[in-house]
Amino acid sequence: MLNTLLDLLKNASLTGWEVTDTQTLGWEFYLIGHRLDQHRAKQVEHIRVKVYVSLDGGRLLGSASGEIAPTASRADMEKLIAELKTNASLVKNPSYTLLPPSGAPKAAAVPAPDPAPIAEAFLDALADLPETKTAYLNSAEIFANSIRRRLITSTGIDVESVYPSSALEAVLNAREGDHEIELYRMYESGTCDKAETLTSLNETMRFGVDRLRAMPTPKLEKADVIFSTDAALAIFDWYFIRMNAAFKFRGLSDWEPGRDIAPGASGDRVTLTAVSFLPNSSDNASYDAEGAPIRDTVMIRQNVPERFLGGRQFSCYLGLQDSFIPGNYRVEGGSRSAQELREQDHLEIVEFSDFQVDPLTGDIAGEIRLGYLKQGGRTTVVTGGSVSGSMKSFINSLLLSRETRQYNNRLIPFVTLLKDVTVTGAEA
Amino acid sequence: MQAPFSPYLTAIAPGLKKLIALLEERYDYASVLSTDSTGFAVRISQRAKSVDNQTMTTERGTVARVYKDGLYSEYAFNRFDPDHPEITFSEMTAALDAQLALLRRAGTKPYETPVLPDEPQTLSVEMETERLPETEDMGRLIAALTAVSDEGMARGRDLVDCAASAQSTHICKLFLTARRDLRQSYVYSEGSVVCIASRDGRTEMGREGLSGRVGPELFDDLRGCLDEALKSVEELLSAEHVAPGEYDIITSPDVTGLIAHEAFGHGVEMDMFVKRRALGADYIGKRVGSDRVTMHEGALCAVDVTSYAFDDEGTLAGDVTEIDHGILKTGICDALSALRLGTVPTGNGKRENFEHKVYTRMTNTLFDSGSDTLEDMIASVSFGYLLKGYTSGMEDPKHWGIQCIVEKGYEIRDGKLTGKVVAPVVMTGYVPDLLGSVSMVSFDRGVFGNGGCGKGHKEWVKVADGGPYLKAKGRLG
Repeated sequence: MLNTLLDLLKNASLTGWEVTDTQTLGWEFYLIGHRLDQHRAKQVEHIRVKVYVSLDGGRLLGSASGEIAPTASRADMEKLIAELKTNASLVKNPSYTLLPPSGAPKAAAVPAPDPAPIAEAFLDALADLPETKTAYLNSAEIFANSIRRRLITSTGIDVESVYPSSALEAVLNAREGDHEIELYRMYESGTCDKAETLTSLNETMRFGVDRLRAMPTPKLEKADVIFSTDAALAIFDWYFIRMNAAFKFRGLSDWEPGRDIAPGASGDRVTLTAVSFLPNSSDNASYDAEGAPIRDTVMIRQNVPERFLGGRQFSCYLGLQDSFIPGNYRVEGGSRSAQELREQDHLEIVEFSDFQVDPLTGDIAGEIRLGYLKQGGRTTVVTGGSVSGSMKSFINSLLLSRETRQYNNRLIPFVTLLKDVTVTGAEA
Repeated sequence: MQAPFSPYLTAIAPGLKKLIALLEERYDYASVLSTDSTGFAVRISQRAKSVDNQTMTTERGTVARVYKDGLYSEYAFNRFDPDHPEITFSEMTAALDAQLALLRRAGTKPYETPVLPDEPQTLSVEMETERLPETEDMGRLIAALTAVSDEGMARGRDLVDCAASAQSTHICKLFLTARRDLRQSYVYSEGSVVCIASRDGRTEMGREGLSGRVGPELFDDLRGCLDEALKSVEELLSAEHVAPGEYDIITSPDVTGLIAHEAFGHGVEMDMFVKRRALGADYIGKRVGSDRVTMHEGALCAVDVTSYAFDDEGTLAGDVTEIDHGILKTGICDALSALRLGTVPTGNGKRENFEHKVYTRMTNTLFDSGSDTLEDMIASVSFGYLLKGYTSGMEDPKHWGIQCIVEKGYEIRDGKLTGKVVAPVVMTGYVPDLLGSVSMVSFDRGVFGNGGCGKGHKEWVKVADGGPYLKAKGRLG
């Protein structure tokens, strides 16, 4: 089927084309407690096609994309290509050059990973969870995928990636008498790191037990807030997206290469690097989705934007050389230890409903589900209320711990402290 | 015209029936859901234009569900040869048997569940639409969207960009068992206008959308969204932060819908009852809101993006009264959860797509209207906010917490709007406190179907929600 599609594209009088063929073998187990709710398997193939048409004497480049079923007939393929070609002629973007091949080998000559041992390792981790009458597993969902992705383009790119991608959704409960609470966790990774999974689940169960004795968050007005769980990712994703080529070209990022984003900042300065590899990341790849080689690249150094990165179209518009769509990133640790950052009065929030940082405005928002309020040497467990404020002011005084922690495709400081965050209490 | 049912699904249906026959030799129950949904997504802005034949719900594939010894198993695939269903049968049984072998080694026991009923039923529904996405004149549509974007740029102050988007999807689904044959075809569409402006180091985004279980004819009205999007971005550029505290609030119909969705929509999804993850299970028949609060949920209680004829398990669409004058009456339920709870399914078993598991999910979730006017509601507030637009929400069925990130609030003092705007507004609280404080309800209401809904942090499906203006007390920050 793929060869027929490629032949048709080659003979369709197009300026260019790309085909991405992704095959997934997936195993899924759904558990209620430790009992099997149901099990699922999937074996699917998705073929995406993008075509390019040069317009207005080469001044403009139109493109259109779509998916075609792996069971499509030759007539289906001809129809799709004709539709995409017509649509591309209507989508008039400024011209840019299509990505040339990098000279890398055609395919990763490795067998696709087997999802079975990945799923089994997750089951083992859950079985080894040290549950008690007070803290226990409510339910879990296990996803283990083996993915083979091949990209072929009119410019000669023909690369293949073979990788595992897995996830564990775990709901953990804590109970005291009739009072029961739950904590939700979603872990994504390449394969299952059983030890890391157990460590994180144990930490979550400890949080759950603490939440049983939580008091309503008092009216604080302003507080220094510590982030020490995956909620902190939203903070660094804000830096990351503001360095995205499309975000920049669309006028949504006012950061400029070489211009400090927080001149006179009194806190730690952020250094963020796109990296091709992090241990057990589900985003490890030598090439991005368009076939561009991924290289370790500093995007922000000490609060100074250094390299915007992104897809071919917007990278060309910005004049970026050797650009790519980054998957993993690493943020360097700061100057103090996590323990030092915890010495002063603060509110450490380890559980939000859904902590968010608006990529456009930098506004932060999140309901507090569990926090530890340290005031005058005394620590109180709190719940309820919310945080708000803007990253645009927090970057002037943010502090980062020396220690780091990895969450799938992102390695960030273990502890991040934002100063003078607005905290709406849960007390009336 | 009627949206025609997929010729592809019609062609493979006999092969799928043969597959079911093969599966029934081995299992005590077998069904398939097969989908063939096509559409387009177009986005036109000053800086970039794109067109794709993929939307959030376009798909072509099949999932087979089987049952044996108290356990349900599923296999999703999209390479099916209707002349050789035995190939898929072999692949499916091999994959599921391998999983069962692993589960036996791990000592994992099934959560035993009764077998689904399979009463004879035939249904074929082709819903009305004026136009179809697959035959839409894309040149005309792109020109119209370009005109909206250009007009926005010409009229707006300090605009960085103005984007007009249009998505339309023709859904076709086929549900088969040995005794049931259900087919449905309908079209839904959604569009939006987004204005982004930058002034004095501040960048904000105003947006307005529309949706419906209609064809691309919906986009003929898209230009009408531009005025509101331009007004919104201007207001946001000069907005201040709200002083944290508890206020009298009036929620506009879109924020009312968000509350319906996050407060009790997720809270009465009964697959969460099975897992004991929802406090609502203990409150059936009890008061959870004021007398003025009545809430409905179901594909039949409004006509919008998710108003289907049957769900992804072959249960016919319903209309459930979840809250009646403040009393929690019942929840919504998928078919397997209904078996486990000894109740009946409500037509709310939905999948993100054929590759995903069924969960209990919302369709249209709406507060009922009351008899107050918005003018009277504003006049009754001494100091508070009229909340409009939203960014996101998050459910908390276990503890009945609520988080709504609202786009903006209009200040009300002494019964009048002052013109001051605050943004963004984080509304949090305890659901029964919020619903218990509802003191006025307007007679008019709106339904909104733009965007999607996740369960936890995944499983994205289309939903619609809404209601009237509500006056209540809310904690804002």
